[in-house]
Amino acid sequence: MPSLAEREYHRPMLKEYRTLLPYLKEYRLRYAAGLAFLIAVDAAQLLVPQFIRQAVDLVSTGSFLISDIARIALSIVLVAVFIAGGRFMWRYFIHGSSRRIEARLRDRLFAKLMELGPRFHQGNKIGDLMARATNDMQSIRMAAGMGFVTLVDGLFMSSAVLVIMFARNPEVAAWTIIPLPPVTALIILFGTLVGKRFKKVQEIYAKLSELAQETLSGIRVVKSFVKEDAFSERFAEANDRYRRVSMSLVALFGFFFPFIGFLSGLSTLVLVLAGGNAALANTMSPGDIAAMLVYLEMLVWPLMGAGFMVNMLQRGAASLKRVNEVLDTEPDIAPDPGALETVPSGGIEFRSLSFSYPDASSPALEDVTLSLPPGSTLGVLGRIGSGKSTLLKLLPRLVDPPPGTLFVGGRDAREYHPDWLRKAFGFVPQDTFLFSDSIKANVLFGAPDLDPERFERVTSVAAIDRDVEQFPLGWDTVVGEKGLTLSGGQKQRIAIARALAVDPEILVFDDALSAVDTETEERILAALLEERKGRTNVIVSNRVSTLRHADMVAVLDGGKLAELGTHEELLERDGFYAEIARLQALSAESGEARTADAGANGTGGAA
Amino acid sequence: MSDFFEKDEVTKVYDPALAARMVRYMKPYFGLVAASLLALAVSTGTELLMPVLVQRTVDEAIVVSYVRAARDMAASPELAALELTGEDPAIGEWIYLRERRLSGLSRTERDALVARGVLDIESRYLVSLAGPDTDRARVLAERAELFESEGDLAAIKLSELRELPPADARALRAKDSSRIKSNMFVYLALLAASLAATFAQTFASSLVGQKVMKDLRMELFGKTARQSLAFLSKHPVGRLVTRLTSDVETINQFFTDVLAAFAKDFSVMAGVLVTLVLLDWKLGLVTALTLPPVAVATSISRRMARDAFRKQRQWLSKVNAYIAEHLSGVAVVRLFAREKASVAEFEKHDRELLKASLGEMYVFATFRPLVEFFASTSIAVILWYGSSLHASHAISLGTLIAFVNLIRMFYNPVTDISEKYTLLQSAMAGGERVFALLDADERIPDEGTRHLPRPFRGRIEFDHVWFAYKEGEWVLKDLSFTVEPGEMVAIVGYTGAGKTTIAMLLSRMWDVQKGEIRIDGVPIRDIPLDELRRAVQPVAQDVFLFSGSIADNIRLHGELAAAEVEKAARVVHAAPFIGKLPKGYDTDLSEGATNISTGQRQLVSFARVVAHDPSIVVLDEATSSVDTETEKLLQKGLSELLSGRTSVVIAHRLSTIRHAHRILVLASGRLVEEGRHDALVARGGVYYNLYRLQYGREIVDDNGGRPAGAEGASA
Repeated sequence: MPSLAEREYHRPMLKEYRTLLPYLKEYRLRYAAGLAFLIAVDAAQLLVPQFIRQAVDLVSTGSFLISDIARIALSIVLVAVFIAGGRFMWRYFIHGSSRRIEARLRDRLFAKLMELGPRFHQGNKIGDLMARATNDMQSIRMAAGMGFVTLVDGLFMSSAVLVIMFARNPEVAAWTIIPLPPVTALIILFGTLVGKRFKKVQEIYAKLSELAQETLSGIRVVKSFVKEDAFSERFAEANDRYRRVSMSLVALFGFFFPFIGFLSGLSTLVLVLAGGNAALANTMSPGDIAAMLVYLEMLVWPLMGAGFMVNMLQRGAASLKRVNEVLDTEPDIAPDPGALETVPSGGIEFRSLSFSYPDASSPALEDVTLSLPPGSTLGVLGRIGSGKSTLLKLLPRLVDPPPGTLFVGGRDAREYHPDWLRKAFGFVPQDTFLFSDSIKANVLFGAPDLDPERFERVTSVAAIDRDVEQFPLGWDTVVGEKGLTLSGGQKQRIAIARALAVDPEILVFDDALSAVDTETEERILAALLEERKGRTNVIVSNRVSTLRHADMVAVLDGGKLAELGTHEELLERDGFYAEIARLQALSAESGEARTADAGANGTGGAA
Repeated sequence: MSDFFEKDEVTKVYDPALAARMVRYMKPYFGLVAASLLALAVSTGTELLMPVLVQRTVDEAIVVSYVRAARDMAASPELAALELTGEDPAIGEWIYLRERRLSGLSRTERDALVARGVLDIESRYLVSLAGPDTDRARVLAERAELFESEGDLAAIKLSELRELPPADARALRAKDSSRIKSNMFVYLALLAASLAATFAQTFASSLVGQKVMKDLRMELFGKTARQSLAFLSKHPVGRLVTRLTSDVETINQFFTDVLAAFAKDFSVMAGVLVTLVLLDWKLGLVTALTLPPVAVATSISRRMARDAFRKQRQWLSKVNAYIAEHLSGVAVVRLFAREKASVAEFEKHDRELLKASLGEMYVFATFRPLVEFFASTSIAVILWYGSSLHASHAISLGTLIAFVNLIRMFYNPVTDISEKYTLLQSAMAGGERVFALLDADERIPDEGTRHLPRPFRGRIEFDHVWFAYKEGEWVLKDLSFTVEPGEMVAIVGYTGAGKTTIAMLLSRMWDVQKGEIRIDGVPIRDIPLDELRRAVQPVAQDVFLFSGSIADNIRLHGELAAAEVEKAARVVHAAPFIGKLPKGYDTDLSEGATNISTGQRQLVSFARVVAHDPSIVVLDEATSSVDTETEKLLQKGLSELLSGRTSVVIAHRLSTIRHAHRILVLASGRLVEEGRHDALVARGGVYYNLYRLQYGREIVDDNGGRPAGAEGASA
């Protein structure tokens, strides 16, 4: 599956807005009310210059009653009260709806992201998906709120103002509006230009940020080679690049808005020129000029707004397209309607299972057959790329096995609803991921209602209890940047407790004690296997010392099941397993310090 | 990703000391700031002049009317208030004067004069007859009955002028028409000047902002990079990066969006007020009286906006953090079948965000219409009071129109200012964080002036060294040992025995609390830090490669010739694999350098050390497992790296231990045993136990020899 970012670029179309239709429909009453207030406010706004015209004309006759003017002034205030109230109301209805739509769409996007499988998540960077959930949501909200408003407001106001201006004096009106249409065109052009430059600025900014991130992550190296100045130089260059592109954007903005002001000023100029001459020729009153000056101001905004509206709708469409891409992605594994909703029991069987990833040239697993009776422990050994992790992923159907090849609890894994199948498993992944929540919440992640005794039990088996009890906040200690920094070993042990907490039928342990020292590893493994006695376990490890505890060991090589048997059988067979065992035993020459042979426990150490 | 996780606290309101500190960064760009201020003055001035010019045009060319006073009474004290002079136009019995000169008379005085026939206040228009004009002559001839004339002047009642057909009226007012034209030329010039000045102002102030931002970033970067590891390990990288990027960015916003915009907004507002008072002080003052409610509304809404904005930001960052985290941990969510629970929890957060976001919207939805309402109220007051002033001839119609236009200009920035206020808040918060980081000084003191002796020998002495990362938790306790020049010493011990720390101390990544470390007899505190670090090279367990090419990673952006780089790679046996890469030494290392293997990465890091040719190497051996061939390659590379140098190896591989001239055994931060492998094994102490524990049963088969590879022993 090509990642979202790689998909072919199509110009976003108006049809992307289809996603919003159900929401628009749901909020149609709010939108209608907002629309009514918006138009009422617009109409009221058009009255104000009329009052001004009346007042000016009255005044310019030279003989008038102050009370007449006072009446006009009062009308202006009353209309202003109405306008203020109406403005609040349309904002309340329309902006309220657009923000509600934003939240609803974000909920939907998040649910979809949780639904989509590992293939999707591996193919897409988190940053990119985040952008869809944040920036894109914002521009969709803008399109559904401000975009909508400017569309209605612009259409209504500009046509009404034009009608009024032409009705008062067509010739002057015609001259006056000449400089204005370019405003709309310019704004549209501006939108595209800014879009391009802005993207560039963002890219360079991201690079700057990456450079800082990288340098600070590698600060030990920088320091130990005394390269602070060289890296500062590098950072300075990135800064200069950023300044250059930023200024090119500033130049655009800096020219653009004053230029719009220039054009609107130009039409004021034309109005005074043409209107003034019309007044000299008695075809227009001074009040008309004063009113037109105000109308003109009212016209500039909708014309600018029209341009912004086009940009907003375009940006909204582009953002919706990106959101739709996620929403339209089909999950890899969808439950069948009649899927079994029971938790399978412990036995696992592979029947000549072959599995290839799409786009892969060779199968990841080939003709694997093995049967693990309930209650026994399977050890798995293999090099990187031998198919170990694929084998593990197949078990809870993170990737889908072909029909009739994988049986859990005696039935084809595909017959289960994935959620129920997964409930059979407790996974301790190789890379520990904890949420930035309390340690307690992390342990209880899969079993929120665990009773305190079990909680105590699993944390003691995972040997994390004593560590945590020493923290000032104990189990309420929050994991993550603002909380306490946990060591890798502590994180791994929390993950073990988390998996044990669900009391799974099958425990899958993916080489998950790499950050724990030898003694602790031995202690945990012993307690773990004791705890899991009589249950099914799958333990992946590269250490023979660990694998010897398994009832059966499977050796994978290039996706094939190379060897299968008990530790002793495999040692005798003198194959890959025996070779590895020998190599590890001979750590005198090639082993690792942490190679935790059973010898460490003193049981078989002096063989 | 760290950006998404960090809470964006917007608590700071306005801190003058902080603002002053930000402003000080503008000092080097005084010229640009001055240019920007000049441009600001020009653009504000032109913007204010434009409505004034329109007012002048109305008064001087469009609405021109005269009243008249009896010529023979000109000197009488009753008319003194009109200040009549010989210069005033006169036709027959009457002297003509502009209406507004009547403002010196009270209404009753005026009416009395009118009743006596001394004053005629019917509006009249004066036509100048100077110069030839056939059209005008025709109208004057055709409508002679409407005019009274004398010399160069002809007067016509305004009411009659307004009844004339357009062509006739235009012919009489040709002078006004050309006046309009010339005024509009000035207007055009003002527009052009305004365009240029506004652009210049934006550009100059942005440039200042950008330059300050760069200065600040470089200062912060340089400072942070030189902080001690003690400091850096306390501060997560993600947070430091946020300081360098988005927090500094908010300070830039302070300069461009806040400072520059406020300057513009306030100068326009002040300019409007001054212009109003200059145009007519009475109307100006009354107008000013309508403004206090805006100030009150602004200060209330500002507080409400701040709270609403803060709440909205907090929830937004919470929601974003939630998304980011659940994307990173999506596999865990899936494995525990917690999708639905996570979605439900997310929706709860998202509801809170919506609530906060609506709250923010209500504040703005109330404030903006309110300001518009105040603007309309001001206009109404101007019309009402202005027209009564006009009735007593105190102000002209043009002045009234100018007031209406100018008061709109006054209100425009009001909403702008209150919306910029949130930017000011985040700039303050950002500034506070940036300066806090800038003010932190936890550098390793670098006051040494003694140099390492030449020729350099490389003798290392640890003399009763005590060291703790955290106070009271001693990692090294009274550690003393000596490494002779050219010797290779292996340090072994249980995890947590303080082995890795030794590497950090020798190049003063950390400073010891008690005791002393000496190189060739010179205490390392007395050696300039750069010199020390060039001489002593710690090599870390986990290889860190930077983005960029392999060559860049070997030379680390220093001045090293390609030949030198290649030579270093050859020495550590990295050359063969680099040669096989598509672009050789110029091959770019992708993110995390995943396009080369773990072993290859280590070889690159060895080459890096060789290229920089330190005299002492402190190697923290990697524990990560690599395949057997790579292992052999690494061993070969390693022995080249160490040859001819004094070296301390924190050993994790037995082969390395056996290569060592001497083994130091560390337990709980103390040196417990020391000697050669065989002797230590024979002694049956800590080393023997450690060895038995870590390397298991082969101890029995141990032949004590020092073979280079795995082939030397068998099960």
